[in-house]
Amino acid sequence: MNNSSPLLEVKSVTRRFGGVVAVNNVSFEVKAREIFGLIGPNGAGKTTLFNVMTGLTPPTSGTTIYASKDITRLAPNQIARLGIARTFQNIRLFGNLSTLQNVLTARHIHSHTSALSAVLGLPTAIAEEKINRDKAYDILQLVGLAQYAAERARNLSYGDQRRLEIARALALEPKLLLLDEPAAGMNANEKHGLSDFIKQLCDQFNLTVLVIEHHVPLVMGLCNRIAVLDFGELIALGDPLHVQNDPAVIEAYLGDETALAKTRRPASATR
Amino acid sequence: MTEFLSTYGVLLVGMVLAAILALSLYLPLMAGQLSLASPGFYAVGGYIAAILSTKVFLADGETIQPFPIQYILFEMLVAGVISGALAVVVGVLALRLRGIYLALATIAFVEILRILSLNLEFTGGAVGIFAIPQPFSDAINYLWIASPLLIVSALFTYRLERVGAGRAFIAIREDELAADTIGINPTYYKVLAFTLGAILAGLVGAISAHFLNTWNARQGTFDASIAYLAFVLVGGSRTFLGPIVGGMLLTALPEVLRAVAGINGLPTWFAQLLRDGRLIIYGILIVLVTIYFPHGLVSPNWLERKAKTNASEAMQRKAAESAEKNI
Repeated sequence: MNNSSPLLEVKSVTRRFGGVVAVNNVSFEVKAREIFGLIGPNGAGKTTLFNVMTGLTPPTSGTTIYASKDITRLAPNQIARLGIARTFQNIRLFGNLSTLQNVLTARHIHSHTSALSAVLGLPTAIAEEKINRDKAYDILQLVGLAQYAAERARNLSYGDQRRLEIARALALEPKLLLLDEPAAGMNANEKHGLSDFIKQLCDQFNLTVLVIEHHVPLVMGLCNRIAVLDFGELIALGDPLHVQNDPAVIEAYLGDETALAKTRRPASATR
Repeated sequence: MTEFLSTYGVLLVGMVLAAILALSLYLPLMAGQLSLASPGFYAVGGYIAAILSTKVFLADGETIQPFPIQYILFEMLVAGVISGALAVVVGVLALRLRGIYLALATIAFVEILRILSLNLEFTGGAVGIFAIPQPFSDAINYLWIASPLLIVSALFTYRLERVGAGRAFIAIREDELAADTIGINPTYYKVLAFTLGAILAGLVGAISAHFLNTWNARQGTFDASIAYLAFVLVGGSRTFLGPIVGGMLLTALPEVLRAVAGINGLPTWFAQLLRDGRLIIYGILIVLVTIYFPHGLVSPNWLERKAKTNASEAMQRKAAESAEKNI
């Protein structure tokens, strides 16, 4: 793929839940090797947009194109196989499995020997299992969780669970990584470390990153470009400085007295 | 010893078969699917063996003494293949449902098979199929077929828990949606787990048809669904050992109670309870186990401790290796 064509294209995506329009006619492109921020107030439709991109929620209308391939109607597992990995806002680890097993499970798409040869313990299957295990250990070491390899995921601290989710996503060896509020529940110091960590991952794995984040300074320092959603609509798109000074963004975040008087939508629309 | 074996032959074979049936329910449960369809496939396997042995291998009224074992093995093969194929069809349809709705749909499946076998001609209607030929002169000898099947299926499940496909099952059990987003196709693995369970149940059915000598619509009904579920709940649903232990214990329990009731000096009412109130004791036991051992009697927690030390040793070795490289 050449550099001029975008890695991900979101084309006039709309998603309705009953009468609520969670995402309304949103279009943007994410270039390869970019760190792209998706911000907006609570209920702006950011996570819904992530769910559309990963196949969990099909859009009501519109298309998503990844690496010049239409992925709009693909199942989540097919999209994962194409190289899109994600984390969740409300952590979704396999709580009863060990930290290592969580990462190992995500090596699934890189296992090519059949289930039967694995059960029979054929040499090819054993060799592959060893490669996957080593890879999983390496990833745990990278995110700093190696010492908890045998610990059950649900016993980890909140911050470590977030890191484990990133580790699990990395085990897919994705090209595009979607992070849904990776800094939620972290203190200022940890947030700063997270920013450096994401940049490091981006360089090390040639990743393109799409990140949802509330913490504005983090986004400003981290992202090359930012899209701002409000009530499901794209209200601004551009580099951090441009977005920061956009009147529509300031209005969405700080509110505007005149805007309040002519509220565009009832508050219930934010679900 | 010989006397013991001939007295308890029926019980021992029953315990082994129950353990395999419990595994057949455990396999879909590994992938988080509460399926009670096992008795249905058990019934199908039984009918296949009954029909093949009485109508295909032997002409009406003809007898071969003893019935050749390779015929039984062939019947098991056919039972396994047909149960598996049927499971793929039923699984693709039924596994769209979740939790208790799936359980209800599989009970309906068992019930449909029961009504069919009660009314179809080739299943022998209400009378069923009787005088199924015997390969052995003594019940205990069925262990020659049943135990290898238990060992193979236990080894299979043990290995499955430790490889990619088993991890995919468990990932679906833990969080189906998250499993989907890391590239695991939930439908494929749920149907696979369901089919593996169905094949096991079909194989046991084929053995049981010979073992019980007759086969009719009372085999593999809703009561059996609940009994197999109890095997897994009491034994444990988080490791393959659980259902095996549960199946064996609960099958032996009534006989043990009967023996205890025979001890001299027990109050008459108590002996009577042990002898005739078996089902009451059985029920109380299930309630107690689910309260005090929610993961069953065999919990992976005590197996886990060893795994943990192994893993930390591996980590230390790896750390030492990388330290060497740096120097």
